[in-house]
Amino acid sequence: MNVVIAQSDVATAYGWGLDALWNGLLSGATAIRATNRFAERGFTSDQAAIISDLRIGPGESRAWAGLKRILSPIVSKLDPITPVILATTAGEIEYVERAILEQDAALSRQSHPRFLLQRVKGLLGLRGPGLVMSSACASTAAALTRAASMVRGGQAASVLVVTCDSVSEFVYSGFSTLSSLCAGPARPFDRQRAGLTLGEAFGWALVTSGSEGISILGWGNTTDAVHMTAPDRSAAGLSRAIAKSLAMAGRSADDVALIAAHGTATLYSDAMEMVAFRAAMGRPRPVFSVKGGVGHTLAPAGLVQILVAGRALSLGLAPPTVGLSSPDDGAAGWVHGEAAPFAGRLALSTNSGFGGVNTAILLGGGRTS
Amino acid sequence: MILAVGWYCAEHSGILGRQGLSYQCSVAPAAAPVLALIDKTVKYFSRMTEESRCCLRAAKLAMTGARWPAPGQEIGLLCAKSEGLLRANEEYFRDYVATGRTLGRGNLFIYTLATSALGEVAIALSLTGPSMFIQADERPLAALVRHGEQMIADGEAGGMLALWSDSSAAVCLAIAAGTGGETLIPLPAGEEPNPLELCRTLQARVQRA
Repeated sequence: MNVVIAQSDVATAYGWGLDALWNGLLSGATAIRATNRFAERGFTSDQAAIISDLRIGPGESRAWAGLKRILSPIVSKLDPITPVILATTAGEIEYVERAILEQDAALSRQSHPRFLLQRVKGLLGLRGPGLVMSSACASTAAALTRAASMVRGGQAASVLVVTCDSVSEFVYSGFSTLSSLCAGPARPFDRQRAGLTLGEAFGWALVTSGSEGISILGWGNTTDAVHMTAPDRSAAGLSRAIAKSLAMAGRSADDVALIAAHGTATLYSDAMEMVAFRAAMGRPRPVFSVKGGVGHTLAPAGLVQILVAGRALSLGLAPPTVGLSSPDDGAAGWVHGEAAPFAGRLALSTNSGFGGVNTAILLGGGRTS
Repeated sequence: MILAVGWYCAEHSGILGRQGLSYQCSVAPAAAPVLALIDKTVKYFSRMTEESRCCLRAAKLAMTGARWPAPGQEIGLLCAKSEGLLRANEEYFRDYVATGRTLGRGNLFIYTLATSALGEVAIALSLTGPSMFIQADERPLAALVRHGEQMIADGEAGGMLALWSDSSAAVCLAIAAGTGGETLIPLPAGEEPNPLELCRTLQARVQRA
């Protein structure tokens, strides 16, 4: 059975829709900006990739405001029994912020993602099973693997994956504390990279059987079991995830024409990824990261780069890695600062995150609607 | 199939494991040497949250009951939390606000991740299979079992541990390929018990046996 992402949509700091994302990346200009949202907080950075035209109603969270808008075209369009997977790391975390700042304990309880899941189901008219999934920064990628498994295993005809994470003081302060933020816009795989930039994104993908769309051919999920926040320098976990994705699809590394990397722009994570790619692939092929353009969007990161990879496969054009000027030694010849044509129909997408999680998905080319 | 169950809470702990063709109960004292070994040998055990410690103990007990790991076996982890992340989220942000709202504590921030306990368990027990937080809106523990079984069928792991936890109790199911095991831990068709209630049910079952 061929499992595909048949329909999808995404919003990033470049704007609403895949066209805005694709054209933004191709322009080479970053959507990361200085923000005054946390100006008085004294964090290690003031940079973020924020969706500037998000309209938020009174008392609403950014996540819900974003999901309402991005999901509006499919309201009442899906089979009501379609299962839905909500992939998020922080969800409606503003309710916790407000509860503590405004000393209103009742607000905190609204942050439980089950409430956001129920609102999503209610908005779309869905009454099938619902799941909240989280696997740190690999959340959406992992959710897509579960959705593909459910379709392939005959548990559902289609599965809707919905994802969101917004730039909040809660998360921004946490990454600042961990010294993970770059003072300027993130520069994935660059010799001068100095950390990540947080971004926000909302999106969805309908996973089903068929021939039209981005094929999910195989996947691998692994854990490093080495460190809670630092990647395994040997890249053993990501390497196993890549090998599993190829084995499940019955393909070899030679078939992979393009790699959509996690590419956070942190020193050790980018280096770890290149170790894995070099070990798995041998010869260079185009590798890109979207995070120099739209920042690290946390849970949605996997969907964002997979949709870009799908567009790249359909056009035979690898997007540039925005912000790259001088590739790190390990990335030279693989990662490019300009768009590059390529031949081939398969792409590998990888994500890694805190807790040592890794997800690799092998994608087949196709057209998305 | 469910091969074994381990549980831990402040009141008691235990193992239910499959022995040959039948299921046998290991009474609570059997868990003591396993737990003592974890407490002594796992690096950073003392700085883990209580929930992570409960998860680690329950996971080790379930693995003992399942006689895991087998040679070359890759084991993955799934979890769901009856209380969600509210306590960890509030603890981090309240501390951040109280200390001037400029710098948080990394060790509190990291536990706001839904998969933080899984990361700790994976490191302590060298588990390298998939690890994911999966919380179904209905019958979350049954959903974990279903996803675990499917992941094994997909070839994602040779065995899966499914953790159902809150801040003071954890129950862990060891899931293997095959069918059966429903009698080991009958899951109700309706609302499932919270982790502490399930610990008490399992303890009562062991004492009856």
